[in-house]
Amino acid sequence: MPSYFRITLLRSAIGLPSKSTGVLKALGLRKRMTTVYFPVSQDVAGQIMRVKELVDVAEVEKPLSKEEMREQRRPEKGFYVERRARTRLEQGIF
Amino acid sequence: MFGAFRLTQPLSGGLLWKIPWRLSRHQKARHRERLQRVDNIISTLDNALAKKGLSTKQLERWKNEMPTEQEMLPKDKYTVFDRKVKRYRKAIHKLPKWTRVSQRLNPPGF
Repeated sequence: MPSYFRITLLRSAIGLPSKSTGVLKALGLRKRMTTVYFPVSQDVAGQIMRVKELVDVAEVEKPLSKEEMREQRRPEKGFYVERRARTRLEQGIF
Repeated sequence: MFGAFRLTQPLSGGLLWKIPWRLSRHQKARHRERLQRVDNIISTLDNALAKKGLSTKQLERWKNEMPTEQEMLPKDKYTVFDRKVKRYRKAIHKLPKWTRVSQRLNPPGF
C-alpha cells in the first residue's frame, strides 16, 4: 500500500536562510497554501525536516489533483430550511 | 506639547522600537501551538517511515535530543540563553524570526 505525504506551505520563508527557500522550491511550494503530494520516502522526510516550522504535513493514501482539491473546498449546492415562517409566526417570533 | 507632531522619543531620536520585555499570555499560547505543530509533524514523519521500516538519521537525532512541548520547562519554552543579558536569559520573542525557528535547547546550567 503506497502512501503519500501531503505538504501544505503555511508560512513563507522570507528572511530565512537560502537553504529553506531552496528546499521549498525543490518541493514545488512557491506560494502560501499550496499543497503538494510526495510518496513517503527518506528523501522527502529529510526535506520536510528542513522546513518543518513552515509546513503542514499529513500522511494520505492517494494524491489528489488540483481539480479534486478544489472540488473538496466547494460548498454544497442549494439551501436547507431552518424553520418555516408560519411556525415562527405561531411562536410569536418576529 | 500635544497633538500629532508632539516631540516623542521615536520622532526625535530616529529608530526606536518598543518591544515589551515579556510575552503576553496570548503570545505564549500561540507559541505553544507552534511547538505542538512541529511535534505533530515529527510524529507524522516517524509513523509514515516506520510503516515501511525506515527512518532517517536527522529524525532519530531530533527524537533523542529534543524535548517535546510537554516535556519542556516553562523557562526553556519562553526564554532563551543570551550571554549579554543580566542573568543570562531573554524572552523568546527577542530571538530573530522566533515564530519560524526551533529553539528548544539551552546551554546546561544557564
